[in-house]
Amino acid sequence: MLNSSVRDELVRIVGSRFVFDRPEDLRLYEYDGGVDKARPDAVVLPQTTGQVSAIARLASRHGLPLVGRGAGTGLSGGAIPRFGGIMVGFARMNRILEIDFANERAVVEPGVVNLDLTIAVQPGGYFYAPDPSSGRACTIGGNVAENAGGPHTLVYGVTTNHVLGLEVVLADGAVVRTGAFWPDSPGYDLTGLLTGSEGTMALVTKVIVRLMRQPEAVKTVLAIYDSADNCAATVSEITARGITPAALEMLEGKLIQIVEEATHAGYPLDASGVLLIEMEGLSEAVEEQAEKVRAACMACNAREFRVARTEAERALLWKGRKNAFGAIGRVSPFYYTQDGVVPRTKIAQTLREIGAIGKRRELMIGNIFHAGDGNMHPIITFDARKPGDLERAQRAGFEILDYCISVGGSITGEHGIGMEKMELLGHQFSDESLDLMRRIKQMFDPLCRLNPGKVLPTGKGCVEMRQPPLINLSQEM
Amino acid sequence: MEMIRPSNASDLAEALTAAATSGATIALRGAGSKDAMGGPVPDAQADLRLDRMSGILQYEPHDLTIQVAAGTPWQELNAVVTGQGQMLPLDPPRAATATIGGIVASNCSGPRRRLYGTARDMLIGMTFATLDGSLVQAGGMVVKNVAGLDTQKALTGSFGTLAAMASVNFKLVPLPEASRTFLFAFQAAEECLAARQRVLASALQPAAVDLLNPAAAKLAGCDGFVLAVRAGGSETVLARYARELDGSASLEGEKESTFWRTVQEFAPAWIDQAPEHSLVRVGHMLSELGEVLDSAAGPVVARAGNGVSYLAFDGIDALQNWMIATREKPWSRVVEWSGAAVQRNVELWSGAVDDFALMERLKVLFDPQRILNPGRLYGRL
Repeated sequence: MLNSSVRDELVRIVGSRFVFDRPEDLRLYEYDGGVDKARPDAVVLPQTTGQVSAIARLASRHGLPLVGRGAGTGLSGGAIPRFGGIMVGFARMNRILEIDFANERAVVEPGVVNLDLTIAVQPGGYFYAPDPSSGRACTIGGNVAENAGGPHTLVYGVTTNHVLGLEVVLADGAVVRTGAFWPDSPGYDLTGLLTGSEGTMALVTKVIVRLMRQPEAVKTVLAIYDSADNCAATVSEITARGITPAALEMLEGKLIQIVEEATHAGYPLDASGVLLIEMEGLSEAVEEQAEKVRAACMACNAREFRVARTEAERALLWKGRKNAFGAIGRVSPFYYTQDGVVPRTKIAQTLREIGAIGKRRELMIGNIFHAGDGNMHPIITFDARKPGDLERAQRAGFEILDYCISVGGSITGEHGIGMEKMELLGHQFSDESLDLMRRIKQMFDPLCRLNPGKVLPTGKGCVEMRQPPLINLSQEM
Repeated sequence: MEMIRPSNASDLAEALTAAATSGATIALRGAGSKDAMGGPVPDAQADLRLDRMSGILQYEPHDLTIQVAAGTPWQELNAVVTGQGQMLPLDPPRAATATIGGIVASNCSGPRRRLYGTARDMLIGMTFATLDGSLVQAGGMVVKNVAGLDTQKALTGSFGTLAAMASVNFKLVPLPEASRTFLFAFQAAEECLAARQRVLASALQPAAVDLLNPAAAKLAGCDGFVLAVRAGGSETVLARYARELDGSASLEGEKESTFWRTVQEFAPAWIDQAPEHSLVRVGHMLSELGEVLDSAAGPVVARAGNGVSYLAFDGIDALQNWMIATREKPWSRVVEWSGAAVQRNVELWSGAVDDFALMERLKVLFDPQRILNPGRLYGRL
């Protein structure tokens, strides 16, 4: 329960309408897109940087944890207030402050929805490149915190390549601006250091982003395979031929059927692997690339190569990819999505290993992922109502990630460490590397109140929170 | 001054620990090609050179990634990847002698950053040694990676003031089938800026969009305000550029390489001419380029599609007068290159940025005694 004087002060800062502390309200903020849950003591919805700063000062005075939240679509528990405290929701800081086509820039508040920015700049012929699958709901602030990616980051890069400057509120309430409207700001790259820090170093209150010119032509093709190995081999074949598609997505195994039955995107039910490939750019370049991609697919024994002829056909091909997660819900009440990365030439063997782990653990695992940059997304289905099933799914997920590390990869390409993969981070990085991360985190947040209990493994992180969570969850359930 | 030339990462870490224990000030260098960049290191007691830490450590062309030791010459890396039909399009200055570590430490970049970005954007991983003797890994050998804090961002552009890189990993790009450069020349800056705007607003996706004022154009053998647009692709694609960039002269082959070499080496070539020469890097809005050009009396090379311009000055007075004249501008202004007469006598950095206090804390976190390349970076960090 929140101390009543803290509550009063929060009300003074943002008004009573925007402070929530009743259990039925807090319940809406206890989860994200992942599997972990924890309830904050209060949720507060500021509208200005000054209010965020005042909230941070208040939390600082009372030693309370401070956890930022965009739309709660994250998949690694980044927005879960595992030690309670004050959650700062950015839903009301959702204004696009400036769109400047001549300078290819926009300035946005953190609560702006990712896709809304692209929609806003479309009339001028521009777009915002990072396009996470949750783009219709997730926020730019959350994207900065997680350094979000998406299918088209294969050619355009991830969030950190598109953010030029930030305004942030530090744990003590100080407001600091980093970077600028232009690149190469003098001194250390604090913008780059803060991007992807998962809300553990600062709360972002303003973001300067690059806008890109919309491509003149887009071509989407589907390549269908009888063998998942051949499908995976095509990815490095495309690289070998010097082609860089804008997006290169793969669906594999039983998932193809599941997705097709739900979305009728036109994927053959008996296929073992499907590649969804998109080329963007000048129409001449796109035509040539499509021909080269066709040759690469055929060289790897594709059964069929389909080109979307109309915008409707193109949208249909993507519909299968984008609605895959909903489709899985039709066959399994629960699923767990992993996010590992391997070098592109190791995709085929990684898929085989995932298959073997699924068999060993008696779990159905399908793969739908960003093949072009080796970013695997195994989807592990399970039944949470069966005791031990969730744990089994998680263990299978972690085995997959350990395999990714063993072939020179990473445990997360775009979802972040959050509270899900803290312990695994120690499998990927040496103690020295983790220790430097901790020291930098503590430089920004000496008392460890910003999103406590995230990213770094237990015992390797900040001093552990001494204060127990203020609400006992078991009594509330 | 003692010279230390470690040949591997653990020797490097050991050398740093030894220096930290004795409190000796270290001047950290690759090949020393960037001594004229940033500030000088006063009274260094140890000269730590990474030139012996050289070589390709891992290269799988089909993964489009490469790992090299930090002291590897740029030219060696360039030759290896070009041989596989790939490239790392950073176009760094002093390309003949620069090392990879130095390029990353200075976040050097060149004309093709319009399309491909800088070292910051192409970097995917790094190992560096800190003064406490740790070898720290950052990132990895995959092109997408958000595991843990992105500590390599701190090192990129840090001018060796935080730690010493042992190895760096990059993603690579396939070489385009062919390259061509389209040159426009104008009498007036306004016309040149209008042409630039048409290119940026068009569907074209050139690799480079540089603008040279007449003084800079002369160095490249051209006249007037020159807009140079570089594109890559097949003949069909390049024919499209030629159609859209009607009225331009086109360069290819050796002529094209020579032109871009001049542009790429603009800064060091200027500095090498005289000890009073200097070069300011100005960060500005794309729409402010006209004002930046107007403010300059000497040669200017602008990354006209990025908002980064390089202004050359032929004397200390000219430099200081310009600094005073543009004091009220919102631009970021850094004396990036300076001859010996300028480097020790002029304030190289004007005005503190908002996050400077945090930068100082970051410096102290890595280097509490301030012994590693002190004074090399912005604000004498």
